Amino acid sequence: MPVDCAFQTTIERISILDEHGVYDEQLGEGLIPDSDVVALYRHMTMCRHFDEIAFKLQRSGRMGTYPQNKGQEAASLGAAYALEDKDWLVTCYRENAGLFWRGVDPEKILLHWMGDERGNHIPVRATPLAIPIGTQMLHATGLAWASKYRGDGGIGCTFFGDGATSEGDFHEAMNFAANLDLPVVFVCQNNSWAISVPTRIQCSAPTIAQRGLAYGMHSVQVDGNDIFAMVKVVREAAERARCDNRPTFIEAVTYRLGDHTTADDASRYRDPEELKLWEARDPMIRLRNWLEQRDLWDENQEQAQRIENEAIVSGIVKRAEEIEPPTTNDIFNWMYAETPKVLETQRKTMRTSSLGQGFDGV
Amino acid sequence: MAMKQPDNRSHFLLPDLGEGVAEAELIDWKVSPGDTVVEHQTLAEMETDKARVEVPSPWAGVVKDLNGTAGDIILVGDILVTYDISGAAATPSAPTTVAAEPVTEDAGTVVGNVSETLSMPSSFQRNPEPATREDDGCRSMATPAVRRIAKDLKVDINSVAASGRGGRVTASDVNAHATPPVAAQPLAQATQPTENELPLATRVAQPIEGVAERIPFRGIRRKIAQALQHSVQTAVHFTVVDEVDVTELDRRRKGFEELLGRRLSLLPFIMTAVCRALREHPAINATVDDFVEEIQIRSVINLGCAVDTDHGLMVPVLKNADDLSIVQMADRVREVAKGCQDRSIEREDLTGGTFTVSNVGSYGGQFATPIINYPEVAILAIGRARERVLTKNGAFYAGLVLPLSLSCDHRVVDGAEGARFLNTILRSLEAPEKLLPAV
Repeated sequence: MPVDCAFQTTIERISILDEHGVYDEQLGEGLIPDSDVVALYRHMTMCRHFDEIAFKLQRSGRMGTYPQNKGQEAASLGAAYALEDKDWLVTCYRENAGLFWRGVDPEKILLHWMGDERGNHIPVRATPLAIPIGTQMLHATGLAWASKYRGDGGIGCTFFGDGATSEGDFHEAMNFAANLDLPVVFVCQNNSWAISVPTRIQCSAPTIAQRGLAYGMHSVQVDGNDIFAMVKVVREAAERARCDNRPTFIEAVTYRLGDHTTADDASRYRDPEELKLWEARDPMIRLRNWLEQRDLWDENQEQAQRIENEAIVSGIVKRAEEIEPPTTNDIFNWMYAETPKVLETQRKTMRTSSLGQGFDGV
Repeated sequence: MAMKQPDNRSHFLLPDLGEGVAEAELIDWKVSPGDTVVEHQTLAEMETDKARVEVPSPWAGVVKDLNGTAGDIILVGDILVTYDISGAAATPSAPTTVAAEPVTEDAGTVVGNVSETLSMPSSFQRNPEPATREDDGCRSMATPAVRRIAKDLKVDINSVAASGRGGRVTASDVNAHATPPVAAQPLAQATQPTENELPLATRVAQPIEGVAERIPFRGIRRKIAQALQHSVQTAVHFTVVDEVDVTELDRRRKGFEELLGRRLSLLPFIMTAVCRALREHPAINATVDDFVEEIQIRSVINLGCAVDTDHGLMVPVLKNADDLSIVQMADRVREVAKGCQDRSIEREDLTGGTFTVSNVGSYGGQFATPIINYPEVAILAIGRARERVLTKNGAFYAGLVLPLSLSCDHRVVDGAEGARFLNTILRSLEAPEKLLPAV
């Protein structure tokens, strides 16, 4: 035969609780205990309320730019639930739900967007938010490499958007992870839009998961608005990383229901019909219906939760706004565990230069 | 960057609603004076350069006064809403000197509170206000811009009678209060901003009677106004006009219609002739970049086509128009015109033109002095074709005459070149056998 097939494969798409509320009992068997599903739902509602308030803080001049997380809560939350505390969460800026689940103080996120360096002081295994697109994927590969070297059993799990997969950093991180057998889980939150650029314009392949396949790693597409499916694929990926030191690429298909950030107006480039379609696929609605069908949740609990969320979030805002003023030292304090020499020099120079005098007195 | 709002919550300064936004247009108020609002409740809908947004209240309170009406441009740092703090909600501490300063000056320079005792380099210290005030309670309300004017005119703003909204001192109040400048004071005049330099939000309209409606320049109207003003102020316009006998062209057009079984106007024929002429006269198919002072002869022909829409004049662009057949041209014109009308047109179809045609004749009128769609260097206005008595070789005959008006940027196109270009179009339209496949 003159023509042989050199390679052939398929990309699986995993969905357990679909947008119509149909639940795959077989795939979902024993996946998450009911009490945990309730906890995850409650957490999701709190995150949604936090998101709404954070947005308004920017609009009333109380905070800088803020990127809404609305609609993407299930992806990072499902992953954080499936991972262990020793695993690294290396996120960009639409993973509040996962970070809060891990134990990052929500006021740290507000402080970050208020331009306060103390927002980057995160004592759990999560990195500060990465605003430049794609840089954090390399950090995840590096952290996973370190974990493998030290044998601490931890893995790296990084989040990024569809737009980031067109960045060079993405390909470098993937290449190292695949070829050095590193325990990394790459989670692409494909939310259809890289700011105003639709996915189809910057990726000619029908799935983004194919990009992972090209590096020889297990690649899968998952309904990113389905928390059950997220838990399942991340759990499998984590096991693959922990036991076999093999990375996984997960394309979580989701949708950004808000604007890119508070400096954006998606209504100028997005079809309102598309938005309507995805509003119906909201991960929170679907989860609530699932709980109500099983008598695990009702309207009274929903009302009580709403009141609780308001109290929680206003407490978070209060703590972030009433913190004592920062000092210039904070610029140097929260990026590295051990301050590099060059930063130490800068810190000293700042203290003795005329410009710095008086400003470091706090 | 978070904005420092007054500690006593007496007023809410318009924050930066995006990233580096300087001003926003007030679209609509969502509250009224006297309303009790809760924290995060929407006060107003506003539009920045980039987005239409809802502005929420940063705290709970009673709205005292709304500063501005729909259509006003409000500067970031100006007071948007004042709150009634006479009740229990009033701040426990008396306003300090720092808080009583125009607060916007603090925005973005220092994060957190600056203690009075902190030693700062002199360059960072603000000049204390002259201590002429009797007490802080009598201080006038005014925007920083108006305060600046008062300062320049050496007017104590607290002694000026206020006529603005909510008892604000306006620029006019300050000017009226100032000693009329005499000729011997050229310095004072030099530092006083001219009317056009004042921020829009502080300007006051001249009193005029008999106004049925006041329509602020905004949205597309403002963009049109700015574009046309820029063109007229930059390009040196001259217009050359001529008429062309399109009897034969019209006959062929009708034959074409019959053959294809569809309606076709003269427009796509004229546009095709324009494309041919642009190929022969590349200097007309050009744009100018005034920043680097350069004329750019363009290799592609992107034909702009002025369209009158419900929301104003728009100029969609037919890319590579010289590649289009007559029928394709007609279809594209219809397509982009519809796109303009229902606003579904893509942004890229509104930019990148190298020459524009404007079919003024469809609304009547013969000749025009069209304004160039800057940075292009020429524009052709097509008048209404009418039947007229013509002569040829000493005999009368009835024919269809099309008036054409060509405006060029004289900085780039000489009069002779413009006339030659128009002539090429005329010849092409008079001898349609070269323009069209035989029917």
